[in-house]
Amino acid sequence: MQTEDYDMSSMATTDRFDPSEAQGNMTKSKRTSEFAEVFRHLMRNRAAVVGLFIIGGFIAASVLAPLLSTHDPLRTALGNRLQGPSSEHILGTDELGRDLFSRMLYGGRISLNIGLISVLIGVSIGVPIGAISGYFGGKLDILTQRFIDIMIAFPGILLAIVVVTVLGVGVQNVMIATGVASIPVYARLVRGSVLAVKEQSYVAAAHAAGLGHTRIIFRQILPNCLAPIIVQSTFQIATSILWAAGLGFLGLGAQAPTPEWGAILSNGRAYIRTAHHLTTFPGLAILFMVLGFNLVGDGLRDALDPKTR
Amino acid sequence: MSTDLSPERPVLEVRDLKKYFPIRTGVLSRVTGHVKAVDGVSFDIRSGETFALVGESGCGKSTTGRTILRLTGATGGEIRYDGEDVLAASGDRMRRLRKSMQIVFQDPYSALNPRMTVGAAIREILQVHGIAHGAEAQQRVEELLVRCGLESYHSWRYPHEFSGGQRQRVVIARALALDPQFIVADEPISALDVSIQSQIINLLEDLQDDLNLTYLFISHDLSVVRHMADRVGVMYLGKLVEVADKEEFYREPLHPYSQALLSAIPVSDPSVKKQRIILTGDVPSPANPPAGCPFHTRCPYVMDVCRSVVPELKPTPSGHYAACHLVHPNG
Repeated sequence: MQTEDYDMSSMATTDRFDPSEAQGNMTKSKRTSEFAEVFRHLMRNRAAVVGLFIIGGFIAASVLAPLLSTHDPLRTALGNRLQGPSSEHILGTDELGRDLFSRMLYGGRISLNIGLISVLIGVSIGVPIGAISGYFGGKLDILTQRFIDIMIAFPGILLAIVVVTVLGVGVQNVMIATGVASIPVYARLVRGSVLAVKEQSYVAAAHAAGLGHTRIIFRQILPNCLAPIIVQSTFQIATSILWAAGLGFLGLGAQAPTPEWGAILSNGRAYIRTAHHLTTFPGLAILFMVLGFNLVGDGLRDALDPKTR
Repeated sequence: MSTDLSPERPVLEVRDLKKYFPIRTGVLSRVTGHVKAVDGVSFDIRSGETFALVGESGCGKSTTGRTILRLTGATGGEIRYDGEDVLAASGDRMRRLRKSMQIVFQDPYSALNPRMTVGAAIREILQVHGIAHGAEAQQRVEELLVRCGLESYHSWRYPHEFSGGQRQRVVIARALALDPQFIVADEPISALDVSIQSQIINLLEDLQDDLNLTYLFISHDLSVVRHMADRVGVMYLGKLVEVADKEEFYREPLHPYSQALLSAIPVSDPSVKKQRIILTGDVPSPANPPAGCPFHTRCPYVMDVCRSVVPELKPTPSGHYAACHLVHPNG
């Protein structure tokens, strides 16, 4: 149910940023709550609804994996290697004769988790770093940005490898590693937006009204930086899954028999000429999941912006 | 040097205010010079009056206003509000000062947070200062909006649902939320349609009468200033070059720069023959101001002394301040 959690939390985040928080109890009678408002607009956006269905489908498939799977995802059948899709094996079998459909169902659990949790880590650390750096500026900004420069200088996957090496092998550590690797992207992105937004007169007005820095950052500035954060996050989910696949490929991620989309994809690469279904189906799964998050992300961005409502 | 001859204590005293912006160049961002946006400005504002700061774009009038509210730090000088040192205040004292000094911005489009209903934006201010909470805060917001010529249901609207004039009314309502005595109006009408400008001016005047507000009115529109102001200060290149009561200023401007500005006001009667003083050249860069009188590069009456000696802002016997060697021939 992690994806549903994510959906809720992203809404909750917007709620926290949202002006209506202050309205609290008294506005409920006068106007529907901000949350309901955002949801209503999201539902009106056809593309976003399609996206929600795609994501919902993946979540349902992961949750119901034990019910839906036709075979044991780990049972090998060497006599039945690299078979194409058939009525017995809907998506065919892999190089060890395991049922690809069942493996993908179970793999979705891990891959969805990796995508969402790593984005959560990246956002929750990268956004505050970028916001503080851009808002306060000066020496703090220079120091932070040089540190971010160093992190950016490494390819994300290399950074993730370093983190996994330090923390040890395992799916959980892969999530942390990919999350950490996405921190510099968010920090840089948010800093840029904050630099632009903090020059607006309404920020000066907030200062003049005696509002504190924290309040100004979280209520005046960050809500106006949401759009790029949301867009980046929808892409980052895919990137993280692929990084995790890369880590798995290097033996640092999900370990051998554990099904995981990225791992299935990289294993299948060797057979791409003879059994392309091993790369096609996990590839399509990642594609559609990213598409789903992208559509929802776009819809969310518009639903959160009072101007496009 | 004081520009106030009245016996009553001024509500705002600005002394030798300086705001320099560093110019950084090179890889190491070494400071290689300063833009002297505000360079030794002194004036007083009395309680309940409207003091207008006029001048061309870039002369430092907006920076002066923002520095008084500590929206940007000062490089030097002193600002006293009701006797309290504004530049040194911190913590509770600064919060108290913030309540009594507010600002109305030039551009009502960037002055309101697009993601907050205007009600939420004003309520937040009330709540942070512990003035009102919950339903009481909402009631206060609606009072403020109505007082500024809007309707109470407007509090549930987002900024983009308003016209420019309405937005400026919201900005004014927000400035009034803390019940301030002193308001910096930073070109409050120059971004508005001409048809709306007079409405906002009237609103500002009504509020001043009702609430006994003191205004620092920053503008480059001398016709509006003539209508609004009690006293006028003219800025040029970060310095005040003339300060006088409005009547006096419009009847007999002393500084050549003021004379040129006033001669540029269009007159609605085409049969009136006016002598326009056309200034030549551009405003010098405030990063590299000319020696002596800052205006000497464009002054039609320039003398030798102007090129070397900076004229001081001093009063004539009638209390009309000017910084010009022509007005004060003995230095």
